[in-house]
Amino acid sequence: MEGMNVFAARLFPKDNRFVSGHRACQGCAEVLAVRLIHQILGRNTMVASATGCMEIISSSYPDTAWSIPWIHVAFENAAAVASGIEAGLQILMKKGRMPKRKINVVGMAGDGGTADIGIQALSGALERGHDMIYICYDNEAYMNTGVQRSSSTPYGASTTTSPAGKISIGQQTWKKNVTMIAAAHNIPYVATASPSYPFDLAEKVRKAAKVKGPAYLHVYSACPTGWRLDPKLAITIGRLAVQTGAFPLYEIENGKLKISVKTPKLRPLQDYTKPQGRFRHLDDATIAEIEKRLFEEYQKLERREGLIF
Amino acid sequence: MTVKFKIQGRTYTGTQEESLLGAIRRYGYEVPSLCYHEAVSPYGACRLCLVEVQKGKRRKLTTSCNYPVLEGIEVFLDTEKVVRHRKMVFQLLLAVAPAAKKLRELAAEYGVTETPFVPEDEKNECILCGLCNRVCKEVVEADAISFAGRGTSKRMESPYDETAEACIGCGACVHVCPTDCIGMKEENNIRSILRWHRDLPMQICKKCNRPFAPTFQLNEFAKRVNLDRARFDNCPDCR
Repeated sequence: MEGMNVFAARLFPKDNRFVSGHRACQGCAEVLAVRLIHQILGRNTMVASATGCMEIISSSYPDTAWSIPWIHVAFENAAAVASGIEAGLQILMKKGRMPKRKINVVGMAGDGGTADIGIQALSGALERGHDMIYICYDNEAYMNTGVQRSSSTPYGASTTTSPAGKISIGQQTWKKNVTMIAAAHNIPYVATASPSYPFDLAEKVRKAAKVKGPAYLHVYSACPTGWRLDPKLAITIGRLAVQTGAFPLYEIENGKLKISVKTPKLRPLQDYTKPQGRFRHLDDATIAEIEKRLFEEYQKLERREGLIF
Repeated sequence: MTVKFKIQGRTYTGTQEESLLGAIRRYGYEVPSLCYHEAVSPYGACRLCLVEVQKGKRRKLTTSCNYPVLEGIEVFLDTEKVVRHRKMVFQLLLAVAPAAKKLRELAAEYGVTETPFVPEDEKNECILCGLCNRVCKEVVEADAISFAGRGTSKRMESPYDETAEACIGCGACVHVCPTDCIGMKEENNIRSILRWHRDLPMQICKKCNRPFAPTFQLNEFAKRVNLDRARFDNCPDCR
């Protein structure tokens, strides 16, 4: 599916539930991902959104960009509230207070709200097996409050709380693999997606909405402001992230892993780090080190492909 | 022009230019369909989007995808008649394409799991909805495939069931196909659209040495937008 994006813009559903007029930065790929996902999910959807960029830009009083039921919840409990909504709907339908129909319940949060602050609520919701979709929009730092590091920030990236300088190379820990943590809950559907591959994203969202039980989507969202990136490169950087192995796209359906965009030969990491200001300080040796690690991780994925785990 | 009409007794607004099915779905009602896509003209082939429409004193069963939104009409979605006829349509479709997995799943959602009719071809997956043809013609503007034969031997194929010479290998038909019966693969720098017997060599990016799109497709695009072909030598990420 990866090469088939030529006519994606015209073949996507036109029913748009996340409308224009929001206040996202120029070139924000996260807001693009939100829009594409809700074009697919359509009208019968309810969203619980944790604090973060997407809440700030879409719902500044008295406006809202959402034309579906949407609730802003605290930083840590998007998953808990979404599971509550799901349970509530279920009981209302059971008591006959509302007609029985399929309603997509979505919990959404950024990487901070998922990997750091919200992970216990997320783990609980996944473990209880609610029929919901949890979407993590990963822009690899707390962008909303001014680019502070999160556990999802990649190694070597410079942020305001992990600044690069004489003694520090920026972020000193490796990116937390939340997708695999979610997969370890043995839920029916887990996937990583990217708005740079819209058909692939659409396919994954449809699958996530269809499965009975919890589904987890980890969506790569380029942030030109926080990554010190030229806004016009936001989509390109998403493709480069996949091709360099920095953010491989795969899905785990009933425990079976499948790499959705295959890259037989990974691109040199320089292509990915060079346009981004947050990696500007890295020397060749460090880049080679990161490249080696990404290559190993990609090989690990390849080895796991098709296996049930 | 804005018009008022009713769905299940409630009043809604729509425009005369749009399809009734689109308007029904916009207001959150669920109607199954396989051959409908917003990007192309409606065709009414799968017959699943049946609704009852009351216009004045006359009440009739019709497909909603190719019915206009008219002033004062009243639409009923799940009357006994609609349910009965839809069930029959599902049974007929299952007999046409017994191997189509997505069709089976959709039919099961509406309570149809088997068909009393004898399938002609157990391996057939195509329901002859013509969506691939419409997308190829109206969205891609390549018009590489069409219906061939008539009546009982009607089928969707490339001209003379040989290589579809006009196919640009974009994969739009693969994406829209409601029963996933077209098939596409990419191996050894050749992209193949299996059903239309089309094998297209991929263009290798001059900078990063990776295949990124079929050469034929890029030639075609360069011609359409009237740009120098050399602009398409590199992949979008190296341009």
